[in-house]
Parts: sequence; structure tokens; C-alpha cells
Amino acid sequence: MTALAMTLLALVILVLGAAGSFKFRPLGFAGALIAILIGLTTCPIYYGVFIFIIALLNLLSLVALPNLIKGVDYSLVGLMALATMYVFTTRDFAMVLLALVLISVPTYILVMLREGKANVELALKYVTFMVFATVMFLTGALILVYSSPTGGFIYVIGYVLLVLGLSLEVGVAPLHEWVPDVFAAGDPIPISIIGSLAKVVPFIAALWILIPTVNSTMSSLTLFTAVLAAISMFTGNIGALTAREPARVLAYSTVANMGYVLSCFVVIARPDFAYLAIVGALLMLFANAVGKIGFFNAIKGDGAYSPLMYILAFSFIGVPPLLGFWGKLYILLSIAKMQYFWLVGVLVINSAISIPYYIRLAGELGDTWRPNLVNIICVIAVAVTMVSVLFLPVDWFFRNIVAIAHTLGVVV
Amino acid sequence: MNEWLTFLLLFLSPVVSSVPIAVLYKSKSWTARLPVLSVLGIFVSVVMSLYIFFNFPHELPDARFALPWIPGTGIEIVLITDYLSSYMGVITAVIAFFIAVYGLDYMKGDYRPSWYWFFFTLFTASMLLVVYSDNLFLLFVGWEGLGAASWGLIGHWFRDDDEIAYVGVPDRKVGPLELCWPPSFGGWRAISTIRFGDVPMFFAIAAIWALSGNLNISEIAWGALFTKLGAAGTIILMTMFLLGLFTKSAQLPFSEWLMTAMTGPTTVSALLHSATMVAAGAFVFIKVSWYIQPWRLHGVPGVESVYLLVLFVGLISALYGALVATGMLERKVLLAASTMSSLGLMFGTAAASYWIHEEIAGMNFALLVAFWYMAVHAFAKASLFLVSGHLIHATHTRFSVGGLELAKKMKVTFIVTVIATTFLVGMPPLTAYWVKSAMDEVMEHLLVHNGMLLPLILLLATSLTYSAILARFTSLNFIKGEKPKHEHLEGCNLMKLGYVLMVSVLFILLYRIFVNEETEIFVHAGYVNTSILVGLAILLAYVGAIYKPRITSLSAIGTFFNDRMYLPFVNDYIVPRIGFFIARIVNDFGNRAIDGFCNTLVMPGLFGAISRGIRAIQAGYLARYIKIVLGLVMIIVILVSLSTGGVI
Repeated sequence: MTALAMTLLALVILVLGAAGSFKFRPLGFAGALIAILIGLTTCPIYYGVFIFIIALLNLLSLVALPNLIKGVDYSLVGLMALATMYVFTTRDFAMVLLALVLISVPTYILVMLREGKANVELALKYVTFMVFATVMFLTGALILVYSSPTGGFIYVIGYVLLVLGLSLEVGVAPLHEWVPDVFAAGDPIPISIIGSLAKVVPFIAALWILIPTVNSTMSSLTLFTAVLAAISMFTGNIGALTAREPARVLAYSTVANMGYVLSCFVVIARPDFAYLAIVGALLMLFANAVGKIGFFNAIKGDGAYSPLMYILAFSFIGVPPLLGFWGKLYILLSIAKMQYFWLVGVLVINSAISIPYYIRLAGELGDTWRPNLVNIICVIAVAVTMVSVLFLPVDWFFRNIVAIAHTLGVVV
Repeated sequence: MNEWLTFLLLFLSPVVSSVPIAVLYKSKSWTARLPVLSVLGIFVSVVMSLYIFFNFPHELPDARFALPWIPGTGIEIVLITDYLSSYMGVITAVIAFFIAVYGLDYMKGDYRPSWYWFFFTLFTASMLLVVYSDNLFLLFVGWEGLGAASWGLIGHWFRDDDEIAYVGVPDRKVGPLELCWPPSFGGWRAISTIRFGDVPMFFAIAAIWALSGNLNISEIAWGALFTKLGAAGTIILMTMFLLGLFTKSAQLPFSEWLMTAMTGPTTVSALLHSATMVAAGAFVFIKVSWYIQPWRLHGVPGVESVYLLVLFVGLISALYGALVATGMLERKVLLAASTMSSLGLMFGTAAASYWIHEEIAGMNFALLVAFWYMAVHAFAKASLFLVSGHLIHATHTRFSVGGLELAKKMKVTFIVTVIATTFLVGMPPLTAYWVKSAMDEVMEHLLVHNGMLLPLILLLATSLTYSAILARFTSLNFIKGEKPKHEHLEGCNLMKLGYVLMVSVLFILLYRIFVNEETEIFVHAGYVNTSILVGLAILLAYVGAIYKPRITSLSAIGTFFNDRMYLPFVNDYIVPRIGFFIARIVNDFGNRAIDGFCNTLVMPGLFGAISRGIRAIQAGYLARYIKIVLGLVMIIVILVSLSTGGVI
């Protein structure tokens, strides 16, 4: 069966689960779980397993949040996960844009979730920017595809709109204004979904549009992306230094992490080592996702087991052999190969700046061991950050790079 | 026997034999019995050194044994068994062995025998490594071993609980300083002074490697190295190297540590002052000069200045040591000052090699004299230290006391003292006389051929004073001293055996001087009229000082000398002041500035301000955010369009 057919089957199950959840709520959870298991078969296993675990953690977190649409919320996460899995394999321009919309829209609803009444005021703030971002992204994408054979001024506009749309969508500075407000005012659980699963598709969609439309003009635009990435890193990390509320610290940490990921975009015009950047970006996104899930759940549950918090913090800082280290390493390697040494320096300096607030955060959220859902989620998150030591052989990353490069059709 | 096995046994047997006592430090019964094993270990070294002396080649290149160690760095295990090393190795091992035998008695009942025996044997092994090394790095390993072990041994009685181990008169104050030092302070003074010299020496060795690509003393092309460096470079390099030797051998102005090193057990003083530690500095200078062959480098700039420096540092230290000793009240400190004096003579004579071209069997006359003086001095001085250790034990005071009554009770000790002193001062026709005569000839040569009068005057003044101080030592302890308050004369047979064996070697040396081919020239020097005259003057000085060891009308000068001409001020007052001053500057301007910049004011303030600025954007109003975002998007689009417009 084709990937599309499998995805459609998963969607049907998802809808059935959502419908069934009005009668019996766990059906929503079960439907979502089955749907993403089916979705797993549609994409490369190493990528799929990461998305599966992230989605599973999101689903598990939602168990702790009694809300108005209980049952349907699982299905929304399932839908996002399916879109994230599907976007990795498709090359269809329309499908890529559809996936982007499919992960955006559920978050409009999720952001409103909290115990009791819906958080409409917050949703308004969030949705306004998301709509704006999506429009810029789509416009930029259309212009790029249209103008890529000719290049020229219109291509530049397309590129800038796409990157700015992406920046607004994921929260890259200086278009990050919504991030601290939404992260601080929302319920930690839906925010953890917005901060984790929802970040992957926009980047992949942007890459999927940029790589085939690369032309000679692109190389003169890399500086713009690099500067944007550097601004985001500094804004995020320095902003987090004096932030007091844990959720706000995490908001700025997201801004910084999105800066790290965006810095990969300087490399995509070079097919000979673009794969390094893409692997780095993906690992960084995964590391960011499990870290955010762990920390937000700890906020929700008034703390989690202290050692787990510290390991997540170390992963964010980039201490080997945790996942965050590998992400940063591959990003660094790729931009070093591109001879963007100042950006390498900026990235390293920013990793150093981030140390105090991550450690402080781990200290504040750290607690004694309690056998509860929060700690189970955190244990899984920590296991993911230690994936290179716990589950996979040493050469896993290298084989992974080759596999991903083949999927992308990039020369190794 | 395989040569490497010989060397391995030579270096390792003392240390390995002390491992059991070091490990079993908690057991009283074992630590009382195990010292014998350590002594046995040193005995193995004696046998090996004798084996090397009689069976190994002494001529290069056969006398050099090399093994690779760290490739590409010049750091190799290169040992040499040339004339100097094979003799010095035997001297070191034999003296260490005799002292160790003596120590079996002397250290009985000590509170930490494990510490003592471990460091004692490490001390011996380190010195043997220094003696046999041809590679400067390997030599430096032994050199540092000496430093570490000396610290351990000088401060052996670290509890400072027994006044008998102190140096200086209790409660004697001059200005802000108390001129009395406990063992723990003595250990610290030793290691801190030595480190002051070791660091530049280490850099000098590194520079020698960098410039010549070789670290083996006998292989380095010294002449080419000095020519390459030029005058200033040579002087700087050699001065840095010499700082290590001067500090180790307690030459001026680094002599203070040697005086307070007397806070260690007497066995340590004996070893320290004869064949190890202080001798290491003079020995390395002789050895290096042996291969530098300065007498062949007369056209090379800088070399003369270096040797002139050593000549005068040595001779002035010699006179200073001898003068200071005339006022000393303590047995061991008197001997310590006389050692410094002897070392000065060794340095001075060895430095004279630059001007002395005469070679005997391929060996420079001046270096040969310096080396033989070192050998004679080692055994004589070790005997005297062992004697004074016994005296301290018997009279229970470190100050010189004892009259003829004591001499009658301690006949053997008295006889050994007389032999050791007379054989050392240069009285005809005893051992040192022949060597000293040759030394006179060396300095005379400087006068006749180079017009330098001062070295000869310094030598003669030192020789006469030296004779007087050793006579004074004999007189104050056995003839004209006050009656001791305590007398404890029983037992101590091993101690007696130790110094009797030690002093008897002086006869062997006398015999060798007459028999050996290369020392024939010493005998000739002894028959020269001027030498006989000097010898008689020395005899007179000795007899005079025996008769009148104290001149009361000169007691003020005596006190000045006993205070070592206030040199302690350099060590304990001026240098610490400079140190504290630097520390204050570093703290006030360095630490605080860095701290202020990085940790408390500038950087944290800057980051705080920027961080608050970043967060100040978050007012919470949607309208404001939209304005910001839309504005930024438009600005960025325009900026990028403008800046890339030129490219397109």
C-alpha cells in the first residue's frame, strides 16, 4: 500500500476514535495511538520512531489535563503526528503545504485548553500570529516555486517571506513576541505540544520547498539567514538569563533553539554537505521537543525527579553524549564546512551563555522521586536524550546520515 | 651481568626495599624491624656501583648506554659511566650505606620510621640517578627527586615538639625577625629556595633542547650552541641553568636553607652535606664543564663571563661560609656553614677550568682538583656530621659543649673527629693537603697567567679560616668546651661503626692519590715550596684555634657571624615582602579587575541590562506586538531587497 493510502487509513481510524470518544473517552487515545502506529509505516523508521515517541509523550501529558474537549484532544495530536510523519516522505508541493496547515490548525484549538473554561484571550493572540505566519509562508513558497527558474528580485522576496513566515511560526527572534506571552500564560501541557511536535513540520516544509528551488541567487541570501539565526540565539539565551518564571525561561530557550536550527539554512545551497545540516536540524528539533515536554510536564506537576531535570538541562546545554550535543555538533560541522566561522563562534558562545539558566531551571524544577505520570514522561524523555548510549550502536548517527541523505536525494 | 639489570638494581633496590616499611607504617613491630631491609637495599646499590666501577667501560662512546623513552623530544634514558660518574656513584652509594647503618641506631624509637626510611632511600636513589644520567631530562628527574626527598627529610620532625631539632638560639630576635627555626619551617625554606632555582633550570634545559636538538650532556655541541646564542644568549641560558645548581648547592645568596636544613635528623644532614643534594649542584657543574670544555671555547662570546661569575660566586661563598662558621654556636650549623664554604671552593676551582689548559690523561686539571676535593670533603664531612649526631645524642644539646673529660669517655669519637678535621683542612701530609695544594696551583695559575690576584687571596683566606673553624669544632666539643649537663654514653655501637667506617675511607683516598695515575700531579703540587708554606699556615691556624677556640673580645663579631651576617632577612623578610607586595597587586588590580569584569560588575550588568531590555518588549498587548512584527517584516524585506539588489 502506498504511504498516502496508509495515511488515509490512519486518518479514518483517527476520526472514528474522535467520534467514539464522545461516548467513551479512552477511545480517542486508542484511536490516536493506532493511527500514529500506522503512520509509522509510512516514513523512515529512525525518523518515525522519534516522532512516535514525541507524539506518545504529548498524548500521555494530555491525560493529566481535564478539559472541555477531552478525547478529541488526543485525536488532534494524532493528526499533527500523522502530518509530521507524512511530510517527511512526500515531495508534492501541495501536500507539503497541506501538512503545514494540518499541524498549525490543531494548535489553535489546543492552545485554548485548560482546566475549566477555554482560554480564548490567549488563543486570539496566538492565532493572529499563526495566521499571519502561515500566510507569509504560503505566499513565500508560491513565489519561490514560481520564480526559481528565473531567480531575480522576486525570488529574493519569496525567500524572505518564506523564512520570515517560518520565523514567526516557530518563534525566531526578532519575530518572537508572541512566544513568551503564550508560553507563560497558557497551560503547560498544550504549550509543551506547541513547543515540541508542532516545531518539526514548519522546518521540514521550508526545507522541502527551498532545496528544489535552489538557484544562484540563494547563496547571496545565506547571510540574511545567518544574521537572523544569530539574533535569535542571542535574544533567546540572554533573555532567558533574567527571566524568573520557568515557563518564560523555556519560551526564551525555544527562541534560542529555533535560532540554532535556522542556522542550518545557510548550508542548504550546498548539496555536498547539506545532509549534515539537515541531520543536525532534526536532532536539534528532537532534543528540543523531548526537553520541552519534560520541563513543561515538570511545571505542570510541580517538579519532577531532580537527576532527570539535570540530564534534560545538560542535553539542552549540549553535554556529550546527550542528544542536544549531537544536534549542535552536526550543525556546527555543517556551518564550519560552509566557512561561516563567525556563526560557529556565535553558536558556541551561546551554548555557554545558556548554561546558568538551564542549571537554575533544573534546580528549581528538581524534586525527590515520586512514582507519578510526570516522572514516567520525564524518564522516557531522558531515555530519548541518551539514545546514543542506551539503545543504538555507536555508528548509528553515521548510518542515519547516509539514510537521510538518500531519502533527500542529496549526494553524500 | 647485563648492564641494564645492573642499573635497574642500582636505582631501584633502595626504593623497592623501602616499600614494605612505607606500606606497613601503622605497625610498630614491623617498622622497628624493616629498616634493615632498606639498609640492605642501599647495600645492593653499593655492590652495583662497585661493579660498574670495576667492570664497565669508562671511555666514551662505550661508557654511554641509551634506551629510547619519548621519541622526538630528546628525552631518552641515557646513562654514562665515565670517570666522574663511576667514581661519584661509588662515593654516593658507600656514604649512603654507612650513614644508613649509623641510622639504624640513631633513628631507633623515632615516631615515624616509615617516612624517614622511604625518603632516605629515595634520596639516595635520586642522587644516583643524577650521578649516572647523561640525559639532562633524566638528570632533572633525579634532581627533583632530591628536592622532594630533602623536603621530606628536613621537615621529618614536623611536629616541632622538640627544641633539640631547632636551628638558632631560642628567643633571639633581631628587628622583626626571630632567628630560630623549627623543622617544619626548615623543610619549607629548603623546598622553596630550591624550587626558585629549579624552574629556570628546567627552562634552560628546554632551551638547550630547542636550540641544539640534543639533551645528552656528552653529545651536545656546546661550542656551536654558545656561538649560535651569542654573548647575551649564552649568559642568560647558563645563568638560568646555574640558578638550579647554586640553589641546590647553597651558594650565595641562596645559602640560608642549608643552615636551617639542620633541623632534620643528623643522618639526613650527613647525607645532604656529603654526597647528595648540595654535592649534586657542584657535581653537575663539574660534569657539564667536563663536556663543555670551556678551555677550548676562548673565542666563543659569553663563556668567559659565565665562568667568571661562577668563579667569584663560588669563592665568595666559600669565604662567607667559613667566616660565618667562626661565630656558630651549634655543632651542626657550624658544619653546615663549612660545607657551604667547601662547595664554594669546588665551584670556584671547577670554574677556573676556563683558564687552565693543562690536561692529565685527557682530563682538565682544574676539574679533576674540584672533583677530588669533593670526594675527600664528602667522607670527612659525613664523618663529622655523624660524630656531631652522636654528640647531640650523648649530651642532649645541639650547642657545642664538652671538654677533655668527654673526649676521654668517647675516645673513638674524639679520634674520628681529629682525623676527619685534620684530613680535611689541608694539613700536610694528610689527604686534603695534596688536593688543596693542587687547588693553590690552580689559583696561582690564574694570578700568573691571567693577572687575577683576588681568587688566590680568597682561597687562602678561606683555607685558613676553614682550618680554624674545624679546629674550633674539635676544641669546643672535646677539649675546651663547657662541661655538658647530660651525659648518655652507653650503646650506640652501630653509630660508632658508621663513622669509623666513614673516616677510614679517607686513608683509602690518601692511598689512591699516591697510586692513581691522574692524581700524580697533586703529589707534585704538594712538594712545591709555596704549598708547603700554605700547609704550615693551615696547621698553625688549626693549632691556634684548638688552643683558643673563643676570643671573647671579638664576641660582637661572633654574634654577627652567628646571625649569618643577617642573611636570614633576605629569606624571611625581604623576599616574603616582595611576594606579599606582588600578591597584593595581583589581588587588588588583577583579581578584582577580572572579578569585577567577569563576575560581579561589567559582564553581569551588561547581560542583565540586555536581558531586561529583551524582556521589556513583552508588554502583553496584542496591538503592540502586531505593530512590532509588521514593522520588522517590512523593514527586513526592504533591507534584504536593497542589499541583494546589487548582486542581482
